[in-house]
Amino acid sequence: MNYEPARQISRRALRLWRISGLIQFGITLIISIGLLVAILIWDWPSFILWIAAGVLILELVGMVWLFPSLKWRSWRYEVTEQDIELQQGIFWITKTLVPMVRVQHVDTEQGPLLRKFRLSTISISTAATVHKIPALDEREAEELRRSISSLARVAEDDV
Amino acid sequence: MFEPKRLHPISAVINFVKGLKDALFPLVALFFLNGGFSGEIEWIPLTVTSAILLFILVGGIVRWLRFTYRMEEGELRIEYGLFIRKKRYIPIERIQSLDFSEGIFHRPFQLVKVSVETAGSGNDGAEAELTAIHKQEAEELEEMIAQYKQDPSISEGDEVTEQETAESVSTPLYEMRMKEIILMAITSGGAGVVLSGVGVFFSQVMDALPLGAIYQEIVDWIQIGVLIVAFTAILVLAIAYVISIVLTLFRYANFRVMIQDDDLIITRGWLEKKQTTIPINRIQGLRIDENIIRQPLGYASVTIISAGGAIMQGDENQLRLLPFIKKAEISAVMQRILEDYTIDVEFSRPPRRALPRYIVRQSWLFWIAVIPVSIYFFPLGLLSILVALGATALGWLAYYDAGWNLTGKQLTLRSRSILKQTFIMKKHRIQSAYKKQTILQKRIELSHIQVALKSGAGGQFAECNYLREDTVDQLMDWYQPDPKKVTE
Repeated sequence: MNYEPARQISRRALRLWRISGLIQFGITLIISIGLLVAILIWDWPSFILWIAAGVLILELVGMVWLFPSLKWRSWRYEVTEQDIELQQGIFWITKTLVPMVRVQHVDTEQGPLLRKFRLSTISISTAATVHKIPALDEREAEELRRSISSLARVAEDDV
Repeated sequence: MFEPKRLHPISAVINFVKGLKDALFPLVALFFLNGGFSGEIEWIPLTVTSAILLFILVGGIVRWLRFTYRMEEGELRIEYGLFIRKKRYIPIERIQSLDFSEGIFHRPFQLVKVSVETAGSGNDGAEAELTAIHKQEAEELEEMIAQYKQDPSISEGDEVTEQETAESVSTPLYEMRMKEIILMAITSGGAGVVLSGVGVFFSQVMDALPLGAIYQEIVDWIQIGVLIVAFTAILVLAIAYVISIVLTLFRYANFRVMIQDDDLIITRGWLEKKQTTIPINRIQGLRIDENIIRQPLGYASVTIISAGGAIMQGDENQLRLLPFIKKAEISAVMQRILEDYTIDVEFSRPPRRALPRYIVRQSWLFWIAVIPVSIYFFPLGLLSILVALGATALGWLAYYDAGWNLTGKQLTLRSRSILKQTFIMKKHRIQSAYKKQTILQKRIELSHIQVALKSGAGGQFAECNYLREDTVDQLMDWYQPDPKKVTE
């Protein structure tokens, strides 16, 4: 089993993650401005500002630039009639194997941001575990959900 | 069985006692408000106390009056409720097992408490509970459920034949010896549990007592000397230990494992008799635990990993199939109980290059902690080095205890964090499998394997760390249902 699953998640996920990274960055920025005001008014020690600046830069580089593309590149999945394979992780690489007979149900979910990008997250539940594939193309996720649930039904087995 | 039935009237008493237990602390508080032993009677608290008592008593009786159960149209139908009338209909095919237990109220009247377990009742106790019914009725109920499951078309008029009930009494496949129960009690961690219980009790009592009155006494006490306090602490410890041993003896006396039809039945207990029923086809795997105290003595415990049933919640002890047994005997005993699980297998071990990783994994946190602790609490803090050395030794042990085996459709994984655990499982019971590695491990071709089993409402994970990557690939291939891809 030393090979990579074939399919990648939607390219649009990259932009989605960058935007949510930017939103986080924005929140930290607002907090930093608050800190700056506090330093000016109440004479708080100024090293706090240096820490805030460090966090901001790390966030901009990590969450907005580096992390999304690494994450996107590391995510792979493959669904066959018999099983589902997932591979994820940048430093910790986890490969997951779920036989189709073990699948109990499949859900798709979509937050406001994902809807904007016509993406959707699919979660596959077995009796013991839940496995998620983030940010698939809406239609692809829908199709996958339908095919998994019909394949899972064919392969009926007791728990 | 088809007209609504009541529970045995003793249920009213049981309800009353249970209500009393729930209201114990408010009542004790009221008692002290009432002037305690001082003899002066204040009318308002007294009235409130008697009102509460009366309410609990009447509540217990009404609850018994309102509670009815019957079998109808393939459902167990229960109607109950003190103020709000509730109806709970449980389809028979969803009932997984009936668990019987007997308390001190049940014994004299040949009664049992019946807990109805369904697949969905994992989180909040049993789906339904019949507080007290006659043993015979309980057996009839069980028989009817079994019959219905075999052939749902059996009409409602059919009576259960006597002969069938008589037949189902089977001989025990395993019994715990007294010597084992005593040894288990002595080596158990139960002392800690009892101790914390005592602590909770005291803190509760302290809250309820009028502190001002006894404050002076406490001060006097302290003046008598720390020595007595220390002595008392040790005494409390010793008493707690003895209590825990006695409790264990009571709880595990008459421990028996039987197989009846397709169910595994575990009964135990001396004053309170507990019976756990586990349908064999719900068994997901076995787990052998060896803790650091019992392992040198050569003892282990075997636990069943089972899907579903309220028996899972909180008290995993109820699924202890063999709570305390010589490791060498497990195989022979299991051969009689669940013969399709092979206990004695040859374990393959992780490669030599994994050893430093095992050690670092178990002990790095301790070694980092040693530096500040030694500096700030010099010289006593240096003792923390001993703790870190202990963790290092544990890492060493973890390496020697890790292992895996693949025999036909059975996978066995052995690992240790503190407890040494061996999971024995069948391919078709494994819910999903994970191969995990870091980029660094990829370079030297090491990898972890983890598999998930269904356990109650959730899951349990068996794992083995730092195996050779091709070993893990081999295990994943074995698990892979699609044979086309294996050859790639």
